[in-house]
This record gives sequence, structure tokens and C-alpha cells, in this order.
Amino acid sequence: MTSFVQASRADLQRYLGGEAASLSSILATIRRNEGLQAILVYRFGRLLDSKKELVLLWPLLSMGWCIYGLAALFVRRGYGIKLALSANIGAGFWVGHFGGIEVFNCRLAERCSVGQQTKVGGATQRDGPIIEDSVWIGAHASIAGPVRVRSRATIAPGARVTKNVPGRALVVGAPARVVAREYDNSRILPGL
Amino acid sequence: MWSLIAADFSIYCAMRLGEGAGLLQRFALCFRSPGLLVLLVYRAGHSYLNRRANGNSSLLTLALKLTLPIARQLVIIVAKSDVASHSIIEGGVYLSDSGYLIIGPQRIGKGTLIHDRVTIGVGASGSGPPTIGENVWIGPNCVLYGDSRIGNGATVLPGTVLSMNVPDNAVAGGNPGSIVRLNFDNSRLRRTLACNVDRELLVGS
Repeated sequence: MTSFVQASRADLQRYLGGEAASLSSILATIRRNEGLQAILVYRFGRLLDSKKELVLLWPLLSMGWCIYGLAALFVRRGYGIKLALSANIGAGFWVGHFGGIEVFNCRLAERCSVGQQTKVGGATQRDGPIIEDSVWIGAHASIAGPVRVRSRATIAPGARVTKNVPGRALVVGAPARVVAREYDNSRILPGL
Repeated sequence: MWSLIAADFSIYCAMRLGEGAGLLQRFALCFRSPGLLVLLVYRAGHSYLNRRANGNSSLLTLALKLTLPIARQLVIIVAKSDVASHSIIEGGVYLSDSGYLIIGPQRIGKGTLIHDRVTIGVGASGSGPPTIGENVWIGPNCVLYGDSRIGNGATVLPGTVLSMNVPDNAVAGGNPGSIVRLNFDNSRLRRTLACNVDRELLVGS
């Protein structure tokens, strides 16, 4: 439960930017950002998933799963954002815009960002990509298969990553190649 | 605003229905074309911005203010698209009915055709959005970003990722994008909704 609250708060903080977190500004931010709605639904699903051993909670959980199922269906069909529960997404996640976003069978550490039309995932849970913290993944990019993207790397829009990416690197193109070894992405990470 | 909408509507009728479509068919198109819906909601949003800037507070302005958030939500759910209302789109632009358009360019000239899954926007490091000329053809799954200019009559091949200027009538392609060919007449491409570009036709010149 605490991890759910902390993670959701970190996600919200990235969307709020420097704004004071009054209740009305939080609600307005959630209404305006389809990506944030998708993240919150995903966090709720992960919370339910983590409590499945507690047999006494099952009546309550089944109600939760119904709500999660409807919300996830809406986010997937309505916004085209698929954040599968098979993905392990760290706190402070940021989804830009909407449409064609698929994150599944992968691990993302804290403070990652993805854009529209981004695909991150592998065929099975074991050979999915592993992405370390503060990685910026641009729109239309894809990361497929058992690759590792190191901390603070930047995946340019439209890049197709099929090999490991070193830390702080900027990769571009299809197939992706490193064009800068020391690229500072702290300026382009939204809300940090 | 109404003359622009009329120009859009005639382009959609020509592309979707062809010559000699009946009045009823034309009317039905209003409800069957998500691309047209995206354009209409953009036009309403743009007109609202202009009205607010001019200090206009008529009943129509108020009606736009109240209905626009709902209309935008509808556009997101139906077409998965978002067109920034501050961009300037000239009359007679065709946006794909398959949707997934996230576009916020400085300007789009008339006669331009944009296919599905296209992103046009600002560069992440702070450079402004691109300016797109007249009669441009943009294929599916393209990303155009940064402060660049796409010339009149230019062609952007499917799957291009572009952040550079494209001269008039040139063809850009590839990821990362580059100029593939100069002086190509894209009027045949713009006449249909087919998006399979014959590569030999482009390279052989």
C-alpha cells in the first residue's frame, strides 16, 4: 500500500511540475493528462496484484479487479495506452500524449518517460527489456527484446533499439546507433 | 471560419466519395469521417482562441468555451488525435481518418495530406515546431520535430523521422531522415489515399 501511494505521488509530482498541490490543481492535472490517468490505473492494478495472497481480502479484491478491468479497458481502447501489469514500472513515470503506447513484459526504473506510439516490451516476461532510471524514450521509438538501457540514456524519437545502450548516451535511427556518448537529458525530462 | 470548413469539407468529399456523390452521402460523411471531426474541433478551438484574444464575449464564444472540452475528449476517444488550437491550418487540408495524429505545427498550407500515426511538434530541447508548406504529402508513421520548414509540394515518405528543412518539391525519407530526391511531383500521391510509395519511381530520376 505504501509503495502504491509513494509511486502515485511521484508520478503526480512529475505532471504537476512546480505547481502547488492543492486538490483542485491535482484534479485538473489528472483530467488534462490522459497519460497520468493511465499510470494511476496501472498503479491500482499493481496494488491489487500485490495483495492476491491475502485470502481474507478476496471479496474486496474482486470488486477492485472489476473497477480496474473497466478502467484499463477504457484507457486501452479510448486513449490507446497499454500499460500491462507484466511491466514493472518504477515511481515517477511520465507518459506524454496518448495513442499507440505499449509497455509490457519489461522493467523500468524510476523517473522514465515515454511518448506517443512508443513500444517497450519483449515476447515473454523473462526476455523483456530492462531500463534503468531517468531514461527518456521519445515518441514512436521502440525497444524490443532482451536489451539493457543504462541509466540516463536518451532514445531519440523514432529510434528502434535492439542492442544494449550505454549510460548517458543518445541513440538515434533505425536500427539505433549511438551518436553522442555524453548527452545530458536532465533538461528534457519533463517535470524534474 | 465557415469558408475554411467549407474548403475542408469539399476536400474530404473529393477524397472519400469521388465525383458525383449525392447530397445525402455528403451529409452522412460528416458523421463517418473521424479526420473531418478532428479538423472541425480544431477550427472551433482556433476560432475560440481568436475570439478570446479580441475580447469578444458573444453567446457563441461562451458556447464554444463550454463545449470545447467535451469535443476534445470526443476527438481523443474517437480519433486518438490532438491538434493544437494555436497552430494555423489553412483551409482544404486532409487529415487521415485512421487517426493517431499528435500535431502542433506552426502552420500547415492548403492542399496538404497527412496520413495516420504522425507526430508534428516541438523539439525536446526547446526548438519550436515545424512549418509545413502547401500541397505537402506526409506518409504514415512520421515524426517531424524542431524548428524546420517543409517546402511547398514536398513529400515525406512513410516512417520518416525528420528535424531538418526540406526544399520545395523534394522528397525526404529514412530514419534519421535525409533528402532522397529533388523535384518530385506528388500530385498523383495526393489524389488518392494509398500510401504505398513506389520506391523505384522515387529514386530513378
